[in-house]
Amino acid sequence: MTGSRNTSIFYGVDRLAVLLYAAIVAAGFFFITAASYEEGTGDLLSFSHFYMKQAVWIGVAGVVALVVLLLDDRYYHMLAYPAYIGGLLLLVAALLFGREVNGAKAWFEFGSVRMQPVEFAKIATALALARVMSEYSFSIDRPSDLVRVGTVICLPLAIIVLQNDTGSGIVLGSFLFVLYREGLNKWLCIPVLLIATLFIVSFLLSPLTLLVLSIIACTLSEAMMNGRWRSRIIYLATVALASILLAALTALTMPDGGLGLYGSLLAVTLLSLVGVVIYAVRAQLGNTLLVVALFVGSMIFLPTTDYIFNSILKEHQRNRILSFLGIVSDPLGTDYNVNQSKIAIGSGGFWGKGFLEGTQIKYGFVPERHTDFIFCTVGEEWGFVGVGAVLALLCLLILRLMRMGERQQEPFGRIYCYCVAAILLFHVLVNVGMTVGLMPVMGIPLPFLSYGGSSLIAFTILLFIAVRLDASTRQFSPSI
Amino acid sequence: MIGREEGHVRMRTLQCVVLLVFALLLGRAGYLQLVDRRYVELAKANVLRHVVQYPPRGEVFDRRGEYLVQSRECYDLMVISREIGKQGFDTARMCEVLGLPRPRLERELANARMRPRAPHLIASYISKEDKLRFDECNFPGFYTVFRTVRQYPRKIGGNLLGYVGEVNADMLKRYPSYRAGDYAGMSGVELAYEHCLKGEKGVRIQEIDTHGAVKGSYMNGMYDSLPEPGRYLVSTIDARLQLLGEELMRGKVGAAVAIEPATGEILMMVSSPSYDPDELVGRERGNNYMKMLYNKRRPLFNRAVKAKYPPGSTFKLVQGLIGLQEGVLRPSDTHSCNMGYQVGRLKMACHAHASPLDLRFAVATSCNAYFCYVFRDILENRKYGGVKEGFDTWRDYVESFGFGRKLGSDFLDEGSGYVPDRAYYDRKYRKSWNALTVLSLSIGQDALGCTPLQLANLACIVANRGYYYIPHIVKRIEGQDSLDRRFYERHYTKVDPKHFEPIVEGMWRGVNVGGTSTAARLDGWDVCGKTGTAQNPHGRDHSTFLSFAPKDNPRIAISVYVENGGFGATIALPIASLLEEYYLTDTIRRPELFERVKNMQIYYPSYDR
Repeated sequence: MTGSRNTSIFYGVDRLAVLLYAAIVAAGFFFITAASYEEGTGDLLSFSHFYMKQAVWIGVAGVVALVVLLLDDRYYHMLAYPAYIGGLLLLVAALLFGREVNGAKAWFEFGSVRMQPVEFAKIATALALARVMSEYSFSIDRPSDLVRVGTVICLPLAIIVLQNDTGSGIVLGSFLFVLYREGLNKWLCIPVLLIATLFIVSFLLSPLTLLVLSIIACTLSEAMMNGRWRSRIIYLATVALASILLAALTALTMPDGGLGLYGSLLAVTLLSLVGVVIYAVRAQLGNTLLVVALFVGSMIFLPTTDYIFNSILKEHQRNRILSFLGIVSDPLGTDYNVNQSKIAIGSGGFWGKGFLEGTQIKYGFVPERHTDFIFCTVGEEWGFVGVGAVLALLCLLILRLMRMGERQQEPFGRIYCYCVAAILLFHVLVNVGMTVGLMPVMGIPLPFLSYGGSSLIAFTILLFIAVRLDASTRQFSPSI
Repeated sequence: MIGREEGHVRMRTLQCVVLLVFALLLGRAGYLQLVDRRYVELAKANVLRHVVQYPPRGEVFDRRGEYLVQSRECYDLMVISREIGKQGFDTARMCEVLGLPRPRLERELANARMRPRAPHLIASYISKEDKLRFDECNFPGFYTVFRTVRQYPRKIGGNLLGYVGEVNADMLKRYPSYRAGDYAGMSGVELAYEHCLKGEKGVRIQEIDTHGAVKGSYMNGMYDSLPEPGRYLVSTIDARLQLLGEELMRGKVGAAVAIEPATGEILMMVSSPSYDPDELVGRERGNNYMKMLYNKRRPLFNRAVKAKYPPGSTFKLVQGLIGLQEGVLRPSDTHSCNMGYQVGRLKMACHAHASPLDLRFAVATSCNAYFCYVFRDILENRKYGGVKEGFDTWRDYVESFGFGRKLGSDFLDEGSGYVPDRAYYDRKYRKSWNALTVLSLSIGQDALGCTPLQLANLACIVANRGYYYIPHIVKRIEGQDSLDRRFYERHYTKVDPKHFEPIVEGMWRGVNVGGTSTAARLDGWDVCGKTGTAQNPHGRDHSTFLSFAPKDNPRIAISVYVENGGFGATIALPIASLLEEYYLTDTIRRPELFERVKNMQIYYPSYDR
């Protein structure tokens, strides 16, 4: 690290990103005011109002942003692992000693202030992921390195799921976005996405269909990576034929009807995997081994989805998923929140009803209107125009983050910027998707807009570390 | 590690993913906000509450301006559970003040607690006095809503006026302007003139929050409206005559209808047994209604317009008129009657009177044989080539007198009676029948069925010498100059007015000279009348009397029908006579007759078994 470092800490700071951040936070304050304003409550500036609390939090966030910018970028590199371990410890502590809110044991409480360690664990995980993947010897195509990446992501995810906060946990899954950018074979991405989808949809399909679909998906992606289509198709045909034969044979010989088609297919496939592994080792096809691992992993998962569904997911989460998939419909029960949210947004029309004129918001028909469902205020009071403007701001910020990532010289900075973009994108997709009825209800906030101190500060830190890393790059090489 | 090129491609791909995600979200929001307009309505349904303000229902007066139906104010008791307060209130005192049973109050309060901020109906029909006492007690959370209910000062005209009830599911489906909880006319005048009486509801639109608490008025009351009271009606009924009619008919089953011949206005319409219309108002309405519904004498059945009674001898008037018009009968034609009419084995019995006799005398003494001759002559008229064709002609005449069809009065549930047609007899006698087979039609028996209204209308036709106005029950509607045009048109029968004189003469003689109706004589009033005694398979003969007075420029035409009353002169005649006397002279000069008729009870095995 040589070169003349500029004395001003603001030198090289990406103004557009900071401006977008300020605009979004200001808009958030504005919407929270509308959502939590109550006519007839005497003192407008009393701190019992959510918007006044939020104003304080915005001030704190400003200070935090300054502190983040003040720290040298090397610290973030250095502190990545300690922060990660600290984050894990916090999560475990929350799991053990935390306070339960809405069924999730994921909160610490200090006096009147509540904090969710998940928010900070996301930052730590992003840093650790950037650190792991930016190591000199790291190769995304090497299975052992992929396993390390998987561990870094899955460890906090597992604890968060144990905390019963599945929604926040799934956010970490968005790092697939980063892995793709860093060169993860797309034929690995696709089965991962596919199996994730199958996991959601598995309540709809029969186990046999699921099994057949995952076998075909895995074999085809493997073929896409390695070529040799002929042998893969022969393999598929053989498996199919063998399992049908086995099913028929056992049905004839065994008195209780034999293995059935599902049993035989599973048995034949698992047996054939031994051959596939031997073949892969001999032919030195590492990614074939990965696909096999993925398949076995999903096979452990899929039969256990029922178990997960019934024991790990709580009643309300199960209902939300079932309601989202249209299996149960209950407008006054589980669907109530989403329905009211759609009504609020839909009734906004093109221009909206105007500031403090949104009846659905004002009279409390939308639940959680200043936190998770803050987007309803945008939709109802500012209409399609407001929705477009807010989404445009968020979209620009995410694209800007990717742009900032691209201009980094160090992979660490690039990966971190992409992590931030991925987290923001996922939050926006799930939160806004939930309010317009595209996604199941998972209690995750809309970044910078939802009311909540810990969430605002965590997102601020997350964003400003990226700004800091980006600024440093430009301080050393202003030409970029 | 991947190369710069590949990295660039992947960045672009991811940018596309980001844009796609945002496009998806924006598109969905746009669909909800711009394409699917349902959500605007749903939002209004969430937040707006339409508070109905009920109009007072129109009142009904009799022809002299006396109240038949009044609207009485009453109140619905509402509660907003949350506003009761923690310390509660004195339930025992409230029950005492309002006369509510305590378990019911507690049940309703428990229901109200389900939605603590929404108004909940506790009880309806709170009287004004109770409401004032209730206001003094000042129970927190409770309030009253103004409504009106019906009240009947004279307690008359139950079936005639009809009753008002809460609209049922069927009506809600058919008439979208009604809402659950509205009251509407269910029968009689209330139903027929519902559109005038009901008025227009007012509405106050309020904004409410998710708990049902009122937050203010919508758009500063721009869409609010005030209730518009219902219009009043002046009925053609004479309340005093109606009261007397109901008194005289008490204890008998049947009907009495009086019409003013010169206008077709119904002066009185009694269906017996009747009921106290106040019983079908208020909290006990349901119980009383069920009691009446299961009463075997069927007090809710309006016999005056719906029952089908054989007209008996009163139908001889029609028979004679048709004969005269057809030219098969001249007033001076005489027939002999030897205790009846006999052809071969068929015999139609008659009572003892002088023989042979002409038309006037036949009407006066109600000779069966005479009209058998007339009826045979009509049916067997050579002109038509056959009995069946002759029968068709006869039926056309009968229908022109208003029988066998609805008269078109303003009573919606008017019955049509029944006049048998050719097809009926073809079916009954397998096509082989002749004038003798249906001979009992000549004296108003067989399958003939007439409503008391139709019979009173026949009295009008004879009184007017050949025409009638459609009988109607409303004289004037507030804010309307005239009624429907059809009530001002003369409806002529197919019989020429010149043929009516001998019949009228016969009716006059029957009362004033010597005949079956002499008891109906009123000095100085030239009463004309015709008795009828209708045989029926269910017991004693029905008693009926048809009359009008005075003979020239008649002021009242009346028909009285008493089921199982015996001879026409036994019971129907004195009732009709007393009613005429009262209407024409405002007094009753025969108190002993009045007492006798009033206290006469008829035993009805067919109803009371």
